[in-house]
Amino acid sequence: MKASLSVLSLALIFAASLSVSPVGAAEESPLLAPEVQAGKLPAMRDRLPQVPRVINLGEMGREPGRYGGTMRMLMGDQRDIRMMTIYGYARLVVFDDKGELRPDILEGVDVSEGRIFTLKLRPGHKWSDGKPFTSEDFRYCWQDVINNKRLSPGGPVGALLSNEKPPKFEVIDATTVRYTWDTPNPAFLPALAGAQPLPIAMPAHYLKQFHEKHADAAALGAAVKAAKVRDWGALHERRARHYRPENPDLPVLDPWRNRTAPPAELFAFERNPYFHRVDERGNQLPYVDRVTMSLGSTSLVPAKVSSGDADLQARYIRFDNYTFLKEAEKRQKYTVRLWPRGEGAWIALLPNLNTTDAAWRDLFRDVRVRRGLSVGINRRDINNVIFFGLAKESANTVLPESTLFERRYATAWAQHDEALANKLLDEAGLNKRDFDGIRLLPDGRRAEITIDSAGESGEEIDVLELVGYQWYKIGIRMFTRSAQRDVFRRRINAGQTVMSVWQGIDNGTPGPDMDPAALAPSSIAQFQWPLWGQYVESSGKDGEKPALPEALELVDLHAKWRRSATHEERLELWRRILSINADQVFTIGIVNSTLQPVVISNRLRNVPDKAIYSFEPGAFFGAQMPDTFWFADGTPGH
Amino acid sequence: MLNYIVRRFLIMIPTLLITSALIFTVMQLPPSDYFETYVAEMQAQGERADLSRIEFLRKEYGFDRPVVERYFKWIWGFVRGDFGYSFEYDMPVRDVVGERLALTMLVSFCTIILTWVIAFPIGIYSATRQYSWGDYGLTFIGLIGIAVPHFLLALVVMYFANIWFGISIGGLMDPVYFNKPMSWDKFNSILAHLWIPVLIIGAGGTGSMIRRIRANLLDELQKQYVVTAKAKGLSPRKTLFKYPLRMSLNFFISDIGDVLPAIVSGAELTAVVLSLQTTGPLLLRALQSQDMYLAGSFLMFLACLTVLGVLISDIALALLDPRIRLSGGSTK
Repeated sequence: MKASLSVLSLALIFAASLSVSPVGAAEESPLLAPEVQAGKLPAMRDRLPQVPRVINLGEMGREPGRYGGTMRMLMGDQRDIRMMTIYGYARLVVFDDKGELRPDILEGVDVSEGRIFTLKLRPGHKWSDGKPFTSEDFRYCWQDVINNKRLSPGGPVGALLSNEKPPKFEVIDATTVRYTWDTPNPAFLPALAGAQPLPIAMPAHYLKQFHEKHADAAALGAAVKAAKVRDWGALHERRARHYRPENPDLPVLDPWRNRTAPPAELFAFERNPYFHRVDERGNQLPYVDRVTMSLGSTSLVPAKVSSGDADLQARYIRFDNYTFLKEAEKRQKYTVRLWPRGEGAWIALLPNLNTTDAAWRDLFRDVRVRRGLSVGINRRDINNVIFFGLAKESANTVLPESTLFERRYATAWAQHDEALANKLLDEAGLNKRDFDGIRLLPDGRRAEITIDSAGESGEEIDVLELVGYQWYKIGIRMFTRSAQRDVFRRRINAGQTVMSVWQGIDNGTPGPDMDPAALAPSSIAQFQWPLWGQYVESSGKDGEKPALPEALELVDLHAKWRRSATHEERLELWRRILSINADQVFTIGIVNSTLQPVVISNRLRNVPDKAIYSFEPGAFFGAQMPDTFWFADGTPGH
Repeated sequence: MLNYIVRRFLIMIPTLLITSALIFTVMQLPPSDYFETYVAEMQAQGERADLSRIEFLRKEYGFDRPVVERYFKWIWGFVRGDFGYSFEYDMPVRDVVGERLALTMLVSFCTIILTWVIAFPIGIYSATRQYSWGDYGLTFIGLIGIAVPHFLLALVVMYFANIWFGISIGGLMDPVYFNKPMSWDKFNSILAHLWIPVLIIGAGGTGSMIRRIRANLLDELQKQYVVTAKAKGLSPRKTLFKYPLRMSLNFFISDIGDVLPAIVSGAELTAVVLSLQTTGPLLLRALQSQDMYLAGSFLMFLACLTVLGVLISDIALALLDPRIRLSGGSTK
């Protein structure tokens, strides 16, 4: 009843304010209407693709909205404007809010044998400058960018390789392209749907003017000079950058496009008149006309939010700002929601299996030590003392929201059991103790662990203090040491760090079709086994070969996943990988599902009360589709 | 005198060369560089950063060249007005800094004027009425200004300015006016926001200035010529302003050397807390992210201004006070 009432009142607002066409018919945004009337812009039906993507808000439990307004956000520095690409989350294919892949910019994808991908574009789809989006844009990206020696010296990388081989690329017709690998490539579509997507299409009509092969040499030379860059490659690189949308002239397919040339203190994004999504009534999305991001000190963001300077904000707000923000709720007419974060562990301890300290390295490679240290932690106390009991005590694994979740992954070796911890550590050869009860290492040193921290949050330090106290009871002394983030990373890779504290796996809500790379040695950025990761990443050229059979098995399972052709196969591989990780405790997760405050203006509708807040797969707000958010009064937020 | 000035100018060249070498060396000292810092930051959020890409970027920005070559390239560019390239902003340093320079100068200029306007009367009052209640009271307030950290003061003032007067937190204008051309409303908005940074940054400077005026003036007031002037029946006002005050101003003139660089930079931390669109936060951020040409060129620019400022104040001092000119022994 209430819903229908608000729909009715909405209809009244519409009838009153626009009163041109009958309620329910597609409307032009008031921002664009004058331009359409003046004939500078085609009418909406000519701007949309022949088959737009229809978002049925009613089915999603949301209300269709009205146009208008400016959504204000606060950011740190210029690099943060990439958040617009992330929040906008228009991709060739996307993960929906259930974690399933579905076409978005594409009309459809046809996959056969897990290795032949036929991408079908929406006929009539246009870039934000009104030029057609066709298979030529894919060809340009593949031939002239990805396979150009100057622009991509390494050639195709990552998800574009299957079994280390690039695909065969074909243009079928103006709206169909095909990528064919010799072996299955399950990483391809998830990479396209990533919060940080794999680019395979670029606006060729615009970028050709910066490309050596296509541009007039004299004009390009002058442009290079004017931009004060080294050569055409550097110029192309800058003009084509889409992830961080600094170039206001670059045609895009996103809901909002940047209208501000840097440097600036405020970046204004305006609706893309050619965006391909409509609501069930045929109104073109996004509803909100403009998004602004004002830059400033990140430490001031909570204070600014509490003075009503943002309409939708989660970045640079932390759980410990919650009460402060809540206090100004009534005064500033916003609501603070708490969304669970999507990391596998908010705080995890990562024993460095590649540390140069031989004694600790051998001990950490003994699973009993890792298990002992894990059960020596009282997660409940930490949760109650530091997170008010609102987080979940868990090992570093997938969250209950993931379809892959099983309770045993979260609870394995995550109970608090001092007796068991002592027993495990004794068995592992740490049975001699110093005068004060601290265990002695086999080489006679005291069992003192220094945990490196990037020192960014007070929370981390508080948690470590409690862990140190709890480990003291099982005869392990712990110290912390903070360093700047890059020094921190260097020390780990060089093996100088014995153990570090960081987040758990980034994607805590994966489906079987997402790459399990984070759970197997696969990158030098994995602090528990940087050298093993590097070994796998470089196909054996650098780093060290994994020395534990379980780690080798993980590498093997991950490789199998990369070759898998079916969903069932991948599901099975994921299960195996998760149980090995749970059993082996390569990383010691402490808590997850910590809460992220999200401040939402009371005028802003359709923002869910609760959703997982994560970079991957949620693209932060992206999976919640900010293009469907709308302002109740449609006026700018000032 | 001319000889002296020319010599001072010539000495500036090696001074600046050494400074530039020092700046460049210090920037090179950290084991990592901008690209590594950048990757670390990306990974902190779960974003991918391809390591082969870093190598590519390093080449792109000439990081594969030897350090010495890069130094000479940078310094030669600097001399010709090309300050290098900012990695973080992906544009020439000149464009990045240029934007912010005007606002910085506005804030600093207002701050300096405010400091003088408040400090002079109070300093003179305190010196002429030493150990009076007024002296104690004003000195106390001045000392608070010196003792309270600016950034703390900034936070407190900002919070209450928002609650009581509805002034938006941080920044030099309401966010509505960002990127807009100057208008009457924008000007008003700037004025409404300007008083906070000016007052806060000025607080410490005012305090120490009061102390110095007081101390210098007290020195002069005890000298015999003051007694003579009084004995000869000169009015108290003239006794004060004609001789002792002028004599006590030497420190003020030599301060001009510091004023010049302070106008284009200064109060970095406070500016960060207040989120001012000035050069301070820019410099700090560039140092943190190892955006070395931005930071280096800016520091070099400040070094030039400092050297120039010292020269100006030396010349002014020499002109003002014959005693300094003679004892310097550099003119004949």
